[in-house]
Amino acid sequence: MRPAQLWLKTSVGRTEDGVESMAMANNDAEHSERVIELRLPSRLGYEKVAMDAASSLARRMGFDSDRVEALRTALSEAVTNAIEHGNAHDAAMKVMVMLTVRPDGLVISVADQGRKQLDQDKTVLTPRIEDSFTKEDKGGWGIWLIRELMDEVEFSTAPTGGNQIRMVIHLER
Amino acid sequence: MIGATNTIILSMELSFPSELGYEKVARDAVAAFARRLGFDRERIEDLKTALGEACINAIEHGNGRAPGLHVAVSCVSEGELLTIEVRDNGLQRYQGSSIEAGIDMKLQGLAPLRGMGLMMIAQLVDEAGFTESQDGGNHFRLVLHRRAG
Repeated sequence: MRPAQLWLKTSVGRTEDGVESMAMANNDAEHSERVIELRLPSRLGYEKVAMDAASSLARRMGFDSDRVEALRTALSEAVTNAIEHGNAHDAAMKVMVMLTVRPDGLVISVADQGRKQLDQDKTVLTPRIEDSFTKEDKGGWGIWLIRELMDEVEFSTAPTGGNQIRMVIHLER
Repeated sequence: MIGATNTIILSMELSFPSELGYEKVARDAVAAFARRLGFDRERIEDLKTALGEACINAIEHGNGRAPGLHVAVSCVSEGELLTIEVRDNGLQRYQGSSIEAGIDMKLQGLAPLRGMGLMMIAQLVDEAGFTESQDGGNHFRLVLHRRAG
């Protein structure tokens, strides 16, 4: 317990549960979107930092646990793609994750530094399970999964020249 | 020096709007980072509490709760050390505490309540304090040793 902290902070109007205030605040001032930015090392395992930050935010925005899990999975795929392919496992290269809070949902963008450009075909083709048995390259399922889990998905080139994926998850009220 | 040549440096940065509630996202992100680095659960809970306080100070005092201003948190892991810095825009600069009052005096109402967050942070991490900044903002540093005594 931290009684001293509670006592001190409640006197200046801190709410113990910042929950609704985050999405609501945006209704009051839609011109000022709230943005959280993260820069992570390109090392497998550190996608968990992005997953925990995004799920912490999404829970507080009011997404239910299924949607939060979907978001975690999609973000995990996007960040590991950036680490493994875009930044080719170079720990000095960063993965940029931007979380934008909107009244109607959460926009998540993930950008790498483009050591390797994403093959555009990979973003549109639906992989076939039959091919995975016979072909050497068993990839392509991550992007398919992201499309299944998120409400909007878009691929582009980041201002820095890297690969960028923008995902949106809608808040249903 | 064992490992002097192969010390791995890993870092992450995070920034968030100066609005109460967002410090919890920062706490969860930094906790995940510390977990990857191998800190145990108890140390991570202490870190979360200390970081939450430091971020709230930055939101409320350093940035005057202006959502357009961001609080920046950087984490650098080098060897056994994890150094976290919380930076704000310094709308209100930390002036230091003029009276060295203990917690008992504060609780009895004999001294101002201000500064209890900093007292608590000091108990939870291995090193904590404001550092010199060139940009006019407050820079608050927290240091954790992976194998604390």
